[in-house]
Amino acid sequence: METLHYLSLGFGVALQPENLMFALMGCFIGTLIGALPGLGPANGVAILIPLAFTLGLKPETALIMLTAVYAGAMYGGRISSILLNIPGDEPAMMTCLDGYPMARKGKAAEALAISAIASFMGSLIATIGLILLAPLLARFALTFGPAEYFALFVLAFATLGGITGKNPMKTLMAAAIGLIIATVGIDLSTGTQRYTFNVLELYEGVDFIIAIVGLFAVSELLFFIEEKAGAGREMIKVNPLKLKWREILSIFPTTIRGGVIGFIAGVLPGAGASLGSFITYTLEKKIVGKDGYFGEGDPRGVAAPEAGNNGASSGALVPMLTLGVPGSGTTAVLLAMLVSLNITPGPLMFTQNAELVWGVIAALLVGNFMLLLLNIPLVGVFVKILSVPPMYLLPIVTMVAFVGIYSISHSTFDLYFMIAFGVGGYILRKLEIPLVPVILGLLLGPEMEKNLRHAMQISDGDWSILWSSGLSIGLWLVAIIGLLLPVIVGPILRRRMQAAKSKVG
Amino acid sequence: MSKFNDRVFGLVMLVIAVAYYYGATQFPVPFGGSEAVGPETFPKLLAVILAVCSLYMIVKPDADNPWPVAQTFLELGIAVVVLVAYALLLEPLGFIISTMLAVGTLCWRMGARPVKAYLTGLISGAIVFVLFTYGLELPLPLGLLEIN
Repeated sequence: METLHYLSLGFGVALQPENLMFALMGCFIGTLIGALPGLGPANGVAILIPLAFTLGLKPETALIMLTAVYAGAMYGGRISSILLNIPGDEPAMMTCLDGYPMARKGKAAEALAISAIASFMGSLIATIGLILLAPLLARFALTFGPAEYFALFVLAFATLGGITGKNPMKTLMAAAIGLIIATVGIDLSTGTQRYTFNVLELYEGVDFIIAIVGLFAVSELLFFIEEKAGAGREMIKVNPLKLKWREILSIFPTTIRGGVIGFIAGVLPGAGASLGSFITYTLEKKIVGKDGYFGEGDPRGVAAPEAGNNGASSGALVPMLTLGVPGSGTTAVLLAMLVSLNITPGPLMFTQNAELVWGVIAALLVGNFMLLLLNIPLVGVFVKILSVPPMYLLPIVTMVAFVGIYSISHSTFDLYFMIAFGVGGYILRKLEIPLVPVILGLLLGPEMEKNLRHAMQISDGDWSILWSSGLSIGLWLVAIIGLLLPVIVGPILRRRMQAAKSKVG
Repeated sequence: MSKFNDRVFGLVMLVIAVAYYYGATQFPVPFGGSEAVGPETFPKLLAVILAVCSLYMIVKPDADNPWPVAQTFLELGIAVVVLVAYALLLEPLGFIISTMLAVGTLCWRMGARPVKAYLTGLISGAIVFVLFTYGLELPLPLGLLEIN
C-alpha cells in the first residue's frame, strides 16, 4: 500500500508538463544514441550530464531526462542491429542474429516493430519488478553499517567485470586506478592536501564528469579513427510495415519470459544486460525447439533478446537506486549525475528524496509508452539519422562534449584534462583494461574511504570489524566468488558468446 | 604473439604505486593528532592493491592487441593535436571559427571531402552557438567575430 502511495506521488512529479517534455526529449535522444554505432549509452548519457547542468534543470527533471535517455538507448540499439548488422550497443548483439536475416528477407519493418514491442514488454515487466523490489531492498539496506558498506563497495568492484569478464586482475587494477585518482585533492575529514602538487586546479580533486566524458567520448573518437570506420556501412532499406495482431500475440510469451529473465540478470551483480539478452535468446531457442528457425530470421529470436536487454537495463537500476552501487557503465554514469546534484544515493534516498526516486520510477513507466509510440511510427526518422556516416557524426559529438564541459566552468584547463583522460582511456582500452571500474572508483572513492574511517572509529582501529557481522561476511564471500567465477565459468560462457558473435560477422 | 604491452604497462603502474605509497608517507600529521585511519591509510591500501595487480600483469601478461601502424598512428596524433588546439583556440578565435576548424579537420581526416567537412564544422558550430547563446542564454566566446 505504501508503495502505491509513493508511486502516485511519483506520477505527480513525472506528469508535470516540464518533466514530461524533458522525458520525451530524453526518449528521442536516447533512441538516437542507442541506434548510432559508436555512441553507446554510457557515452551518450555522459555527454548529456554537463548539458543538463548548464540548463539549470531541477534534480528530478535532470534525472528523469537522463533515465529516459538510458531507457531510450536500449530501444535504439536494435535499430542498427537489424538494419546494419552492427549492434548499436553491446547488449543489442544478440538481436543481430535473427534481426538482420529478417531484414534481409524484406521484413525490416516487421523486425523493427516486433523488437519495439518486445522492448516495451521487457521494460514494463522489469519496471514493475523494480517497483516491487526496490523499496524492500532499500529497507533492508538501512540495516547496513559502515563496515557492511565498505564490503558492499568491494563487492561492487569485484563483480563489475562480470561473469564474462576476461581478466579479473585487470578489473581490480582499473578500480584501483579510479580510486587513486579519487584521492587527489583536499582530504575532506582532515583538510590534508593529497597529491595536489600545489596545483590550484587539483585542490578540489578531479571532477569525475570531466573524466567520464574524456574516457568515453574522446577515446571513442580515437578508436573510430584507428579503425577507419568513418564511411559507415551499407544499410538495408525499410519496407512498409505489414504486421498482423496474430503475429504480435504470438511473441507475447517470449517477451514475458525475456523480461523476467532480463530483470533478474539486471539486478544480480556481475550479470548485466549483455548476459541477460544472451541467456534469454538461448533459452528461447531451447523452449521453442524444432518449430523455430533461429538464426534465419525467426521473430521470436528478435523478441527474446530485446525483451531481455530492456528488462536488464531497468533491473540494473535496482542496485543503483537502493544501494548506491551501480552494476553497469551507464548506471554508474547516472550515479555520477546524482552525486553531482548533491544527492547521496542509497537507501535513505527512498525516504529523504522520495519525490525524486518515485518521480524517476514513474517517469520510466511513462517514458516506456512514449518510446513505444516513438519507435513504431517514427522509426523512419531514426533510420534517416542513422544513415549519416560516422565521419561527420563523431566530430560533432566530440564538439558537443567540448561545449558541455566548457560551459560548466568556462575553463580551458578542464578541456585539457578531458583530452588527457581520453588518451588515457584509449590506452587502457587497448590493454583491455575496462573503463567502467575506473569510473566507479572515481565515483565511490570518497564514500568508500568515509565508510572505512567510520568503521575504524567505531572499532578503535581494529581492522577485524570489517568482517565481524554475518552480513558483512556474506558480502565479502559474494565479492570473492565474483572475482573467482570469471576464472572458472568465464571461459565457457565467453566461448559461447563468441560463437554467437562470429555468426554476426 | 608478443606480450609486451602488459609488461610495460605493469611496470609503469608499479612505479606509480611505489611513488604513490611514498607520497602517502609524506603527508603532514593532521591537526589534532593522528587517528586509527588517517588521510594516508586508504592511499596506502590502494598502493598495495595496485602494486599486486601490476606484478600480476608483469608475470602473467595477456597477448598484445596490435598497436596502429605508422600511418594510423599519425592520424591519431593529428586528432589529439586538433583537440588540444581546439581547447587552446576556443577563447581567442571564438567558438564558431574554432569549431569550424576543429570539426572540419576531424571530419576531413576521417575521410570526408574537405569542403563538405569544413562546411559541416561551420554549420554545426553556428547552430550550437545560436542554441547556447540565445536559446539557453549561456554565451559562448565569440572571439574574432566580436564587433567592437
